[in-house]
This record gives sequence, structure tokens and C-alpha cells, in this order.
Amino acid sequence: MSKKSTRSTKLKSDPDAVPKKASVCAIKKVLFIAHNLLHGEQKICLERFYHPGKGRNALFATLGDSVIMEVLEYAESRRSWLLTALSTEVCSNGRIYITAPIDLNFLALHQLRKHCSQRAISLDSISEDSDTNRLLTKFVNPETLKCVADVKTSGEQSFYKYNAARTMAWLALKTRQVMTVLRKKQVHCGRGAKSQNYVQSEKLADGNDVNEMDYTRMACDYVGRYLDADLHEELTRYLHIPSEIQALVEEQSNAQKRKSQQSESKANSKKIKLAGEDAASKLRQSGLVDSEEPVTSPTAAAPTPLKERSLTAKEKALAKGAKGSKSIASFFKAK
Amino acid sequence: MSITLDFDVQQLDNNKRPLELHYLPAKIDGDGECADANKFFNNYTQEVADYGPGVLTNCLRGYPLLGKKLQPPEGYKGVVLQETDPSQTNRQLRLTGTFKDFTYWNYDKVPSKGDGYQQTLLALELAEALAAPIDESEIEEELKQQQETKKENT
Repeated sequence: MSKKSTRSTKLKSDPDAVPKKASVCAIKKVLFIAHNLLHGEQKICLERFYHPGKGRNALFATLGDSVIMEVLEYAESRRSWLLTALSTEVCSNGRIYITAPIDLNFLALHQLRKHCSQRAISLDSISEDSDTNRLLTKFVNPETLKCVADVKTSGEQSFYKYNAARTMAWLALKTRQVMTVLRKKQVHCGRGAKSQNYVQSEKLADGNDVNEMDYTRMACDYVGRYLDADLHEELTRYLHIPSEIQALVEEQSNAQKRKSQQSESKANSKKIKLAGEDAASKLRQSGLVDSEEPVTSPTAAAPTPLKERSLTAKEKALAKGAKGSKSIASFFKAK
Repeated sequence: MSITLDFDVQQLDNNKRPLELHYLPAKIDGDGECADANKFFNNYTQEVADYGPGVLTNCLRGYPLLGKKLQPPEGYKGVVLQETDPSQTNRQLRLTGTFKDFTYWNYDKVPSKGDGYQQTLLALELAEALAAPIDESEIEEELKQQQETKKENT
């Protein structure tokens, strides 16, 4: 673990500053610990295991050999704690560490894909690394591994072989589970950022702006955070999720369509009218049509509504009052 | 390297005086004791009905704050730990105390679902959904469906 050089670390190299260290060093951490880690005699340990989504080791909280949870960090750029017990202290570390449940199959999946894609291996001989070994033999439930692997048993030992088709099915089901929660919580999944403050009213205004694919994509990306990058891509293909750019282009073309539909009546009649006149004039020029009667297309035949409109009572009154008076145009005539 | 959280469950329950925490929207470049929060901060906390129920106001160095009392998510216990010597190979985190609620402060906006913190709680629910086990029979069904759609396509 590399440490940022901060003022306090610089101080340590200075021999005069040694007495100060004791008071500075007691850095506090705020944690939310799940209740299922808080039972029994054993103490909670923090251990590092390989996290396939991050591509490196990450912290997990374990209780003996029975419970394991992922440690999530909530960090905001400008947050700190002020805590009062007997005296008040400030704490520059404004993070919250939260233990979150995790399906260990995700961690095991990485090892299975790496080592057991060609042949079946028993769990304890998959990895030389003691940490990984501990993870696979102690925490991973062999029963649930059936979801992502073929199991062969001989005598007491079980051997596992990675099964791609089952894994995809399993991941798709996981994605669906996440989707259900996203929909239930009405999480905004569409493109672009939206403030939660306004989402509610906007939803009322334009109804259905969240489409199914946005939810699927979001859920798939969330699941992908626990997968190797190539497996995530495979899952995206499996769920038939178009790339975001593709979706963007499609949506834009849809939006344009909608626009034209709005002014459809106007634009359409105009266009067809023009086209009709064009066709008529062409026909006349070509000499195929002799009659002087214009060829009328059904839309072009639409009567001009202006003249037929009967005058309203107000207009009639105005017209009556205007009787005998000069036309307004007469004022502008050259005298 | 291992890190142990050096406390047991009894200690957590015995902790009679819960800690009082303020989650401040500011970067404070320092750790350690400071002026008494009761005297200089809590005294000025007011509940203002204008902003909605339970919204508190205060200020930090003249900057207005809007806050709300929040609890740790359901099923979780709020704990503060402290590390005495991080240079050791076997690191130990000691218990400072526990808390049942804390005051979440925002700078000039009412704490709401739009805050990063409250969205994190959503992420927690997603994590739970993701960790929920899947039955083998469901997988068989999914595989069958997949094969059927393949057949239809070919």
C-alpha cells in the first residue's frame, strides 16, 4: 500500500517531531458494520482477496471462517467528521466504510476461468497462493459453484470445471435481480445526469422516459463491476445490449422522427402538394396529358379554408362599423 | 498483513454513551482534539420548519449548513474505530465507540435523495440483490430458453 506523502508523513522523518506523532496518529474511522458480522466470540478481520472487477486485491471483512463481506468505501471529496465523546475531535478522513454482502461466486469465477477452463481441478489445488486458497476452500460454498461450473465427484473429492454457458445464464439471472431493485427504487437509469431533486416531477411530465434497455444496461454494468473485463463484454453481448453510442444514435433518429410527426400535417401536405404540382407540370410538358385540367392529387385538392370561414359576430360588427369609411390602404397611396 | 478489529460484541452493546457525530461538508486538514462542539456548534443548531420536517440549520465558519439526523442503514451498526499504530504488520483497530444516529450536514441545500450519501444506500440494496443466491433450477430454465431462442434464430 503506497501512502501519499502528506504533511504528517513528512514530519515522521524529522526526529524532533517524534513526540507529536502519538497524538496525530490516532486516525479514526467510521464504519457501518452489518449485524451478521456482529455475533459470536470471534473478532472481525479485514483481509485482502483478489477482486476481479477492480483487477487487484480489495478489502473484505471476515468473521472466522464463516462470514465474509465486501468492504465498500463511501468517499466524497469534501467531507470530514466531527465527533464528540468526552471531548470533541475532528477527523479528516470523511469516509464511511460499509460492509456489504457479496456472492463469493464472483471471486471464485475469476479463479475458475483462469485455472479450470480446460480441466477439472479440486478447489484446494487451484491456487498456490495461501490467501486465494483460503478463500476457495473456506468461504466459497461448493454447492453454489454448480451455477458456474461442472462438478465431477470421485470418492470424497470434487473437481470443478468452468462452464461458460451456465455462467452466462447465472449472470443474466443476477442482472435481472439487480434490475428488479433498480425498477422498484425508481433509479434514474437513462442517459445523462439528472438531479434526483427533479426526477419526480419530470416523470410526471413526460411519463415514460426510462426504457427497459437503460435498466438492463445499468444492471449489467453493475454486475460487471464484479467481473473480469472480458466476461463483462460477453455478458453485454449475451443480453443483447447495444453500445451506448449506438443507443444514442438510435434515440436521436427517433427524436427527429417525432419532430416531423408533430408538424406532420403541415409539412406533409405542403410537400405532397409541391410534388403533385411538379408531377402535373412535368406531365403537361411531356405532352402526355392534353387536357388543361390540372391533375389533382388528393391532398392538393384540399379546399382553401380561408374564404369559406363564416365571419364571427365580432368581425361582423367590425365590418358594419367600417361601412362607408375609407380603406386603410388609401392613406398610403401616393397623392 | 492482517487487520483485526479488536473488539467483541459485548463491548459494542455495553457502550452506554453513544458518540455524537457530525458529517460535515468540508475538508478539514487535521485530526485530533478541537474546541468543544457542544459549546461552539451544537448550541447554534436550530430546527427550521421552513425547509421541511426535521431539517436543522447551523453554520460553520460563517457558511450556512442544512442538516438532518440520519441513522445507519437498517441491519447495520455505526462504529468508530481508531488505529494506534498503522506501521505494525498485524494492524489492530480499537473501538472508540458506537453511534445510533449522526447529523448529516449539507452546505446550502436540504439533505435529500440527491445526496451522494443517500444514493450509496441504494447501492447497498443493489449489493444485497446481487448477492442473493440463485437456484439451480432457474439456471436450467434460463439455459433451456437460451437454446430455444437459438433454435428459432436458426
